[in-house]
Amino acid sequence: MRISDHIELALFNLLKRKLRTILTTLGVVVGIGALVSMISFGTGMQRNVTKSFQASELFNSITVFSEFASSQSKSEHKGREREGKERKTSNILDDKAIAAMEELKGVEAVFPEIRFPAMVRFNEREEFRLIQVIPARIAGSKLIKFRLGQPYYSDDEDSAILSDSLLKKLKVEDLTSVLGKKIEITSIAIEFKDLSAIDLPSLLEGRGLPFSKEIYKFTIKGIAERMGFEGSNPLRSEVFVPPGAAKKIKKLSFTSLWDLFRVREVGQEYSAVNVRLSSPKFVDSVQTQIEGMGFRTFALAEQFEEIKTGFIIVDMILAAVGMIAILVASLGIINTMVMSILERYSEIGVMKAVGASDKDIKKIFFFESSSIGFMGGVFGLGLGWVVSKIINQIINFFMAKQGVPFIEFFYFPWWLCLGAILFAVLVSLLSGIYPAMRAARVDPVVALRHD
Amino acid sequence: MKDTRTIIETEGLTKIYSSGKIQVVALKSVNLSIAKGSFMAVTGPSGSGKSTLLNLLGGLDTCTSGMIKALGKKISNMNKDELALYRRYEVGMIFQSFNLISARNALENVELPLLFAGVSRKERRRRALDVLDKVGLFPRRNHRPSELSGGEQQRVAIARALINFPQILLADELTGNLDSQTSRGIITVLSELNRDQGITIVMVSHEEALVREFAHEIIHFRDGEVVKKEKVR
Repeated sequence: MRISDHIELALFNLLKRKLRTILTTLGVVVGIGALVSMISFGTGMQRNVTKSFQASELFNSITVFSEFASSQSKSEHKGREREGKERKTSNILDDKAIAAMEELKGVEAVFPEIRFPAMVRFNEREEFRLIQVIPARIAGSKLIKFRLGQPYYSDDEDSAILSDSLLKKLKVEDLTSVLGKKIEITSIAIEFKDLSAIDLPSLLEGRGLPFSKEIYKFTIKGIAERMGFEGSNPLRSEVFVPPGAAKKIKKLSFTSLWDLFRVREVGQEYSAVNVRLSSPKFVDSVQTQIEGMGFRTFALAEQFEEIKTGFIIVDMILAAVGMIAILVASLGIINTMVMSILERYSEIGVMKAVGASDKDIKKIFFFESSSIGFMGGVFGLGLGWVVSKIINQIINFFMAKQGVPFIEFFYFPWWLCLGAILFAVLVSLLSGIYPAMRAARVDPVVALRHD
Repeated sequence: MKDTRTIIETEGLTKIYSSGKIQVVALKSVNLSIAKGSFMAVTGPSGSGKSTLLNLLGGLDTCTSGMIKALGKKISNMNKDELALYRRYEVGMIFQSFNLISARNALENVELPLLFAGVSRKERRRRALDVLDKVGLFPRRNHRPSELSGGEQQRVAIARALINFPQILLADELTGNLDSQTSRGIITVLSELNRDQGITIVMVSHEEALVREFAHEIIHFRDGEVVKKEKVR
């Protein structure tokens, strides 16, 4: 039998019993609709998270820790950083190491994790903040989202980028008005020449600290959106200044109390360094090479694989819920097909008498059940799409009231659309196995006597 | 020596139906030889095994023991797929209750065997119209079985049996549901097919007087056995 004849015959037989066919197909429509909307929700959530991570170029960075710093930061990252090779004494996270990392293929920029405490003064108001030093090329990257103004283009400019939230704290109403104006940064520094380890007991008691205060002026060049202090973004501050200008500032050069003592032993060593890559594809190779230098590394791209696994599990749970509806639909198909055999018992006998083989009879029933599946798949996909659009609109309506921008919670990738239809056909085919076998077993002699 | 013109041959053909511990012997060691181009009638009382013989010759059923040879092939040794091909291309069957598909019109019913032969739609239509014309039902081609008389339905069934140009036509009580005038008309159609196209016809009937007018040979059955073979002409 030709495929076109099979399709025609299947449709003819299904349309003979319109209501029953519609009701059976409706079962599949609901099942596929539920399954598709569940999976599209899971996929949509995964897509939103991935997109926001990619938009901020977080997959393009690796954080490198010196052995010393990482022994403390390990607990912070719950062991997610990869162990570097045994530390060589020469491998100190200093400017030399930064220069070596800059030479690696795929590395766009390497900048040390420098943050120092300072008082920010503007508009007669003061706020205490940790100021982060970042090079101009990082300031111009997507890691910082600008609300107004622009990044600084030179590492030696006396310019700064402030977050909108800090300016709000400083009671600035019109953000545009502050661009080009000066802010004062007051830093505190330790005069190392006056410090020795013998002073530690008095130092811990807060007595006799050799602090000095300096005031520096910076031009506000850009206003960034608030950067989170949590998470894995290498930029976690509300004030950014270029390294050239920062060098002139007298400041505490340590980020922990331990650094205070190490700084004298090994010279200038950073506790962490951020490595920016031109593409996430270099993460693995660069990470391996840096670890080869004897440092510990942490890359979000690597961690994201774990998040992805989590999403797959969520998808599977959602799909399992949808599968219940599919199971019910498949029972409907089996019922319809078995009823059809009983009604067409003598017809099957006639077909066998005029030369239909068992295989032909099976195919006829398989085509009928898969036609139900195909129609159910197509309309189910449509139903899932419509329902998810409605739910999306409702959620966004309420979220918009709280100032949350529009989010597409559901996502229908091509593989989901195609997969839903194929899955519906597959389930229907499986449901058709028993009826088809039963139809093929019909004894033509008995069937022809049936009348 | 056997007749070289033999088209159907049976040797010790036996069919036993089993239902639990009960066994019913429908055919007991039947030996038959049917010549090519002959018109053979099989008569006998109800339950004598006539229809069972026809079902076995038509490849619809399988024998318990013995041998059936048709067109030089041992159909008693054939598997299900081979039997389906035999039914499709070598033999045409007509039944007492017409066995037409009620949801399809005359033309579509006649086309049905060609569907399984993989013939194109255009060719199916052409051949079906041709054969319907031969049985005089061209004007009624678009009518469903319920809109046709018994005689017309049986003509449609004959057309369907003829669509694949079979060499053997097996008719099982085809006049059982028809009045005498229509019955005569239907048997005349078969007789003409036998005479003009040389199709071998095996017809089961208990209307002995009627078949005697047309058949070349009559075989009498009783209790699953051949009790008499009679050459009529």
